[in-house]
Amino acid sequence: MKAAARRRLAIAGLTAPAYIWLAVAVFLPLSAMLYFSFLSATPVGGREAHFTFDNYVDFFTKSIYWFNARRSLELGVHVTLLCLLIAYPAALMLAKHVRGRWREALFLLVILPFWSNALVRTFSWTMVLRGDGPVFGPINPLLPAGMQLDILFTYPAIVVGLVHAYLPYAILTIYISLQAVDDALIEAARSLGASRLQAFRRVTLPLSIPGVLAAVFLIFVPVIGSFMEPRILGGKDAIMLGPIIENQFIAAFNWPLGSALSFIMLAIVLIVMAAASPVLRRHLGATA
Amino acid sequence: MEPTATCWIVRAYLGLVLIFLYLPIAVMMLMAFNSSALYELPFVFDTIWFEKLASNQRLLTASLNSVVIAAINAVVATALGTLAALAFARYSFRGRRLLQMLLFPPITIPWLIIGTSMLVFFFWTGIGRGLHAILLGHVALSLPYVIVVVGARLASFGPELEEAAATLGAKPGQAFFRVTVPILAPGIVAASLFAFAVSFDQFVISYFLAPPGVSTLPVEIYTSIRKGFTPEINAISSIIILVSMGLLLLVVRNYRFGGER
Amino acid sequence: MIRKPISRRTALAGIASTAALAATAPRPARAAGSITVLNWQGYGTDEAWALEAFAADTGIEVVHDYFNSEQEMLTKLRTAPGTYDVVLVNNIYVMTAADEGLIQPIDPGAISNFQDLSPPLRDSDRFVRGGQYYAISWVWGVTSFAYNTERIATRPDSIEALWAPEHAGKVGWRDDALESVQLGAIATGQDMNDPGDMELIKQKLMALKPQIATFWSSEDEWNKYMAAGDYDIAVYWSGSAARSKKAMGLPVEFVVPKEGAIGWFDGLCIASGAPNPEGAAQFIDYMVDPAFYVPWDNQIGAPASANIEANLALPEDAMNRTILGDPAVAERLQWMAPVSDERLQTNQELWDEVKTSFVQ
Repeated sequence: MKAAARRRLAIAGLTAPAYIWLAVAVFLPLSAMLYFSFLSATPVGGREAHFTFDNYVDFFTKSIYWFNARRSLELGVHVTLLCLLIAYPAALMLAKHVRGRWREALFLLVILPFWSNALVRTFSWTMVLRGDGPVFGPINPLLPAGMQLDILFTYPAIVVGLVHAYLPYAILTIYISLQAVDDALIEAARSLGASRLQAFRRVTLPLSIPGVLAAVFLIFVPVIGSFMEPRILGGKDAIMLGPIIENQFIAAFNWPLGSALSFIMLAIVLIVMAAASPVLRRHLGATA
Repeated sequence: MEPTATCWIVRAYLGLVLIFLYLPIAVMMLMAFNSSALYELPFVFDTIWFEKLASNQRLLTASLNSVVIAAINAVVATALGTLAALAFARYSFRGRRLLQMLLFPPITIPWLIIGTSMLVFFFWTGIGRGLHAILLGHVALSLPYVIVVVGARLASFGPELEEAAATLGAKPGQAFFRVTVPILAPGIVAASLFAFAVSFDQFVISYFLAPPGVSTLPVEIYTSIRKGFTPEINAISSIIILVSMGLLLLVVRNYRFGGER
Repeated sequence: MIRKPISRRTALAGIASTAALAATAPRPARAAGSITVLNWQGYGTDEAWALEAFAADTGIEVVHDYFNSEQEMLTKLRTAPGTYDVVLVNNIYVMTAADEGLIQPIDPGAISNFQDLSPPLRDSDRFVRGGQYYAISWVWGVTSFAYNTERIATRPDSIEALWAPEHAGKVGWRDDALESVQLGAIATGQDMNDPGDMELIKQKLMALKPQIATFWSSEDEWNKYMAAGDYDIAVYWSGSAARSKKAMGLPVEFVVPKEGAIGWFDGLCIASGAPNPEGAAQFIDYMVDPAFYVPWDNQIGAPASANIEANLALPEDAMNRTILGDPAVAERLQWMAPVSDERLQTNQELWDEVKTSFVQ
């Protein structure tokens, strides 16, 4: 077989299993939803439905939708940035400054929260964040009156809950990227006269970009559609695009609108990621 | 080896991060031993929730289902996803961009929408509800995570090592198993951990696609919110954490995941 | 005080021994086997002791599936024909379900308690069409509010208590568009099923901004927030208030204010294509029977029964007799009517706008 044909076969063979699976389980079902999003009503139970763009137009004309879309995007940015800021130094330290047994143990400890159920964890946060709970309860009497700690049912509480949930993702992906950076490269840079900071900026950082980008993808994207942490921790500040979309399926019987909003959200995310990716690359000088 | 100042900064920082990560988990485990059903303080030690858990067949069966499904899911998703990630990293071809973009919908679109669309679509096509349907859904949702994580690992390693092996006379199969796989290994392990976690915690899809009478742990937790979210849930969550810790310890001990290069 | 009245071990032992006994005993000739019930979780039909008694009596094993919203219940019926036998359907959805062919008529002759059911509920045109009974009326209740008697000294008698400044930041509300609009209508003196002035309702609901501590979406959350002191006064359902007081031991009282409250009633239906319709009818009959209802309300707490005899069999001080049994209270109720898709959508948008105003 010719090399080109063998190459094509290799590519197809590698990608087909995963993508056929995705097609059956996700893409085909979602295309039904895509079709619905252009209908005027859910075509079930004998309802009359005609083709319309209204569901998409509604996003731009009704302020509740784009206002909350913006709110969700802001939430995504806040959570992702905080996660990266906290995770990067932690991953760096784990990869470069901790050796042997300790590294294993710490790594384990960082990953373990994955296995606690998200719902239970979030409810546990309600206990931690309330002013009279087991954590702030004992502390508050010691603080001056104006500085009481009680952030439950506020936006910051949502951010805390989400950062906590996604931090292990960030640490993990950045860590495995950093771990791939050969110490020899850094030593080479140092021996050529680079300071430690320079070696970091010019060698380590760019090579870790894939891990950072992976983290951004795994955090920013789901956070935008999140509904559980906002609902439980946010009190009446909980409204975000995620819950609004879900209400179209749970409370109103408006699958077309819910689907349209979902696909708009998808489009926004794709645009944001497409724009952010080259920016990150250029500013952090990656050659990878 | 390292200057003392760095040592202390490292310890302090990592310590703080760990405290942050474990604060709610500590509270959760604490409440598993509190006698109040409504998480009321003051704290009164009681093992009643563990006793109730022992006789709670429903919760125990659901937990077992979750573990089994998550394990199968991890294996399948990691296998399929790693292959795809290899294709993306080592070949550039028309349509690669598109395929990468197609990884977004499963993660972006709220699971409720995906779950509903799966339910409807599986109904139309006769796939129906059941453990097979749940697995179908879980693997699909785990794939983007696997592909991205393994891909990140691959991107940090260029193809140079494999090319070097080729010039030294290794056949593609040899190069793959002797060079690529060991390099990939941490990424694969990480990806399967992700896949396991995604499946283990996934309730929306499981909820929609489970036939009556079959349940998984997250579904039990979620639906028991209606009935009474008793601290039995805390009890089983605590047990799971401890068991996972034990398992992970085995994995990390025997396989030098964080090992020296 | 907080522990559940029946320990699981006892129930499990009871079920195990009953099952062993039942396995050896000759089964009743008809309607043996099993049935699948679709309902809210923890809403009566899945009480372990009841299922055990029912199995002992009829030999029928009951399996449950649950839903978390009425839309979900309809979706499940639509996508799983031939799976369910008994379905709980709120009265406003019964005719919708019947029109779509999701439920089948029930023969009143199969229900021994039929004559004891309260006629306005039993024969309501929400359940009956062309002489066919598509649902057997089961329970009814009121959506209003309850307050913490230890923190609020005098019993409020007006719905304005939810807007009162002295309760700012301590009010509990349910995140539900339909219910919110209905309560807003009652508070502004309008017909909740056909309010003339939606803008007024929106303003009224927006005025809740300083009042609400957080939203609850399940009985359990309500209990936790009330117990923790986040709520002093909160919107709630009558049956749930009975449960919170009795089974959870919380110091709460339910109030039907002078402006009125939301009345609702639920029916039990048999799904089309049910695998075991005879068994389903037997189960429904048991559910409206005083033998089930009285222990249910006494030990755990329940909405009011559609069965007049069952209600009368309750103790004198039971909430379902004192509050819901009071004719003056029934006068003040507005009964929920079916809601069109358009209205559902309008309500949802209005409520989303109100919630958005809370963060602006």
